[in-house]
Amino acid sequence: MRWTRRWVLLAGGGGLATLAIPRLPGAAATEVIEMRGTPRGERVWFAPLGLAVAPGTTLHFINKDAGNSHTSTAYHPDLYDRPHRIPAGAAPWDSGFLMPGESFEVKLEQPGVYDYYCLPHEMAGMVGRIVVGRPDGAGWEEAGGDAGALPAAALAALPPVEEILAATRIDVERSR
Amino acid sequence: MPGKLIFREPFCSRRIQVGAVETIDLHAVEFIMIKQIIAIASLLAGTAALAQDAGDLGEAPPEAPYAAVSDLVELPEFLPGLGQLYVDPETLPAGPFLGYDRDGRLSATIYMPPIGDLEGGTSFDDLALGAESVSSVDIYYNAGHPGVEQPHVHVVLYHDPEAKGRLAK
Repeated sequence: MRWTRRWVLLAGGGGLATLAIPRLPGAAATEVIEMRGTPRGERVWFAPLGLAVAPGTTLHFINKDAGNSHTSTAYHPDLYDRPHRIPAGAAPWDSGFLMPGESFEVKLEQPGVYDYYCLPHEMAGMVGRIVVGRPDGAGWEEAGGDAGALPAAALAALPPVEEILAATRIDVERSR
Repeated sequence: MPGKLIFREPFCSRRIQVGAVETIDLHAVEFIMIKQIIAIASLLAGTAALAQDAGDLGEAPPEAPYAAVSDLVELPEFLPGLGQLYVDPETLPAGPFLGYDRDGRLSATIYMPPIGDLEGGTSFDDLALGAESVSSVDIYYNAGHPGVEQPHVHVVLYHDPEAKGRLAK
């Protein structure tokens, strides 16, 4: 059995029309991000992997992986001395270890790009990217930080900001 | 050498000459027999000790230095597929990890060697077993988890044919 990864674009109702004409991100006040894994732990991931939301959206992280614990941890020097990869004015977050079924919430106000990871699974590429607002909006900040300080698997997993803005939501699915 | 009996000690090249056939030195023969009996007794005692050890590990919780993995790191008490895990922290990351079913019965011994270590030339030799009886073995990749964050291999030795089913959920 061989696992490969492919991007699955789910933009609202999905479809090319939606991709061609991006809608404004994140009408919902709360978005759910699931922490997932295969039963034997061959793969672990955030679902969605990339998400565009409006400023003020609350992210609800929940561990849906029955055989593992996960964290949602922002890339920030104050947290484990990692690179600064959230907007300058934004407060970093760390959920701590979430056991199966446990959840954590964080509200994002500052426009810009937020990169985060799972503490025990960063080396396995379990990372996520949230885009808050749009590049033409007030106070927007591009993604920053020392990309070289990230594990290769983590860096490769982060979807481009443009793709997230175009699709609103990017999921990674497994295929055989 | 005619007229002589030559005895060879088991597992030893030293020769013992006990004398001519007509005058066999019985004390020497007895000495050798006693040594052999002692050796056999020692082997039996060793086997009994192993069995005793296996018995100590057979039911959860195993004695120290084994500790519950869920007490050492942030992981659920029961991991589907592996069961309730115990490990001697000194043996991390490879283990052995002892996997118990929900009734506390030792069902599997698991090893978790990191792939990076294997690629770097590290070998993990003479690892202990939770029990001597092994009915089947599963080997698969794991992306990492608290305790063994590096991508690694799970080598799962099931100790009876129903063990995998009992550990599944």
